[in-house]
Amino acid sequence: MGVTVDVAYKSLNKFTEILCGDSVEILKTVDSDILILADGMGSGVKANILSTLTSKILGTMFLNGATLDECVDTIVETLPVCQVRGVAYSTFSILQIFHSGDAYLVEFDNPGCIFIRDGKLMEIPQSIREIDGKKINEFRFRVKKGDALILMSDGTIHAGVGQLLNFGWLWEDIADYAVKEYGKTVSAVRLATAICHACDELYMFRPGDDTTVACMRIIDSKPVHLMTGPASNADDDERMVADFTGDPNARTIVCGGTSSTIVSRVLKKPLDVSLDYVDPEIPPIAFMEGIDLVTEGVLTLNRVLQLLRRYVKKESVAEDFFEELDKPNGGSMVAKMIIEDCTEIHLFVGKAINSAYQNPGLPFDLGIRQNLVEQLKNTLEEMGKPVTVTYY
Amino acid sequence: MKVTICIGSACHLKGSREIIKEMQELVAANGVKDKVDLNGAFCSGNCVKEGVCVTVDGTLHSLKPEDCGEFFNKEILGRL
Repeated sequence: MGVTVDVAYKSLNKFTEILCGDSVEILKTVDSDILILADGMGSGVKANILSTLTSKILGTMFLNGATLDECVDTIVETLPVCQVRGVAYSTFSILQIFHSGDAYLVEFDNPGCIFIRDGKLMEIPQSIREIDGKKINEFRFRVKKGDALILMSDGTIHAGVGQLLNFGWLWEDIADYAVKEYGKTVSAVRLATAICHACDELYMFRPGDDTTVACMRIIDSKPVHLMTGPASNADDDERMVADFTGDPNARTIVCGGTSSTIVSRVLKKPLDVSLDYVDPEIPPIAFMEGIDLVTEGVLTLNRVLQLLRRYVKKESVAEDFFEELDKPNGGSMVAKMIIEDCTEIHLFVGKAINSAYQNPGLPFDLGIRQNLVEQLKNTLEEMGKPVTVTYY
Repeated sequence: MKVTICIGSACHLKGSREIIKEMQELVAANGVKDKVDLNGAFCSGNCVKEGVCVTVDGTLHSLKPEDCGEFFNKEILGRL
């Protein structure tokens, strides 16, 4: 069985801090996905350095096949010692999901992982092992489709402490909330954002501690094929469309007026262009049987890129981001499919130059498709989505 | 009568949106909704023209937003 994951995280910085003292690493090996969350002692720069070092060391060493003992050793040896407290300290959690369905969880001093299956909370047994004086919990198990696993820093359980709640937000209550949100949300990013937002509210929007929620959902693989631009040689049109529509499991997006006309001609399906200008800045979308989404090209892709960039820069992902993402304009629709409903993406890019776009009278440089595609590819990679680009 | 307005990238930048809005209003105001069928289209390959590509029963025109009223009277109402 091939297991695929949808993974995302959201952090809140301690009020007034510019840096977050929690760090998250999301990695892929040939046969697994790894999620690491580290919480450095203190806040601000110091905490940020401690947690960054910890998560990077763990990530790099795990990628290269080091054992947990070796990793912990290295962290203990490497972390700078705090002058105030005389210790070097960062908590961490590691979650590794193998494509075979095997899972490995390691926890050190973070709040326990929340494990949800079939809408119910699953218990994670304690099996503590001591490495270099650190009590570390290890758990090996199997995952199945639909499971959700949530890692958190202790900013979550401290939310509201001494203010709205006497003892903060208890783990059990967070877990209940997570189970409820699990049923309501479709993607890892919405689940992580929902829990983080609840913490922010309990903190009355002035977090007393760095707060991070990282979420992994076990899902089916969801490939997306995106075609944009006509082939530089018109003889390649049919081959390009055949490749683009070649995978029956992949959802299909066409971004481009001329491109969709080509697809329509090759597939012999009529193109129905909407006149509904839902967003004044980008042209309406169109409909074609057999293609999941048809939009205009560069202006829409430019919007998609802006949204994906906002997503990569976690700070601006909150409720208003999802409101934007849920809008029915072409840019939001493409971005939403890529962010929430896609595990890997294949771009089919035509290199033809549209002579009409070489018109200096236009207020926007339309001849930037390849530049956009390149930026799109980089941003998708930053999002942790495997990208393939084929040029025609 | 079939009227097709291009909303491809280049035409969009030249004002497709204004033209569509104005056309829809003109069609409604003149009570010819059942006779004029407004459609969208992606690039027809004539982007080099100065205005937005508008096709009336197969004949291609290049239309600027400010000329909409005159165009409607001449090419659409005038031909009905």
